[in-house]
Amino acid sequence: MTETSPRRSRRGPATARTVDALHEDLDALWEEAPHVPDTDRMAFTLAVMEAAGNVVVHAVPAAEAPIELEVDLAAGPHRLEARIYEIGAAPAEVDLDRAMAEEHLESGRGLAMIQALVSRVVFERHGDTNVWKLCRECGPDGA
Amino acid sequence: MQFTVEQKPTFAHITGTGRLNMVGAPKLREVVTQVVGDGSTHVVVDLGGTEFMDSSGLGALIGCLKLARQAGGDLRIANVRPQVRMVLELTSMNRVLTPYDSADAAFADD
Repeated sequence: MTETSPRRSRRGPATARTVDALHEDLDALWEEAPHVPDTDRMAFTLAVMEAAGNVVVHAVPAAEAPIELEVDLAAGPHRLEARIYEIGAAPAEVDLDRAMAEEHLESGRGLAMIQALVSRVVFERHGDTNVWKLCRECGPDGA
Repeated sequence: MQFTVEQKPTFAHITGTGRLNMVGAPKLREVVTQVVGDGSTHVVVDLGGTEFMDSSGLGALIGCLKLARQAGGDLRIANVRPQVRMVLELTSMNRVLTPYDSADAAFADD
């Protein structure tokens, strides 16, 4: 990623509405990153939405203050990157190797989907914040 | 997400336009629950206008499928766009929610 890579950021309450609004940021990012193939756009968009959605459903506040969700997106020449911050969330463990849910179940697919959609995913603790780091190699060199 | 319901001779045709995500999924459950509750147990969810679906949207479809089957009917999907097809294939749920080319084709062979 270079300094000139297209970037977008959003911060708001950890709610479904904030996650839904991320689509506008991703659409704007793709407008500035015509080099990113459609397949990579679809895969990365879905991975970001799944991780942000996981924050809304599963993150637990560390104190009385509600959790804030911040998402930073960058589209480099060969790599798409996202940082997703659960600000004010209690420390958590996320099983990133979780298998896909069985067919009859209505939930339990998000983490397995993220694993399948990105080249690398990391979940770690920074201060009072849980951080998701997603990276997808893209384009002719990354495919 | 916006939904419309049209009663066809052999099924209820539900059209969903927008994003089937954490915001849209509860609305789909609400619409299908109403349709099945009103006696239409054969349901086609037409996703031609659905530009995005995530795991919560997929979960809603699975829940709605169960609801229709418990009522003695079935739920099928039609007109899926590439992003929705990707989700179905990634999760192998295309084996359960097989996409049909059109709403009319979904129950044509029954």
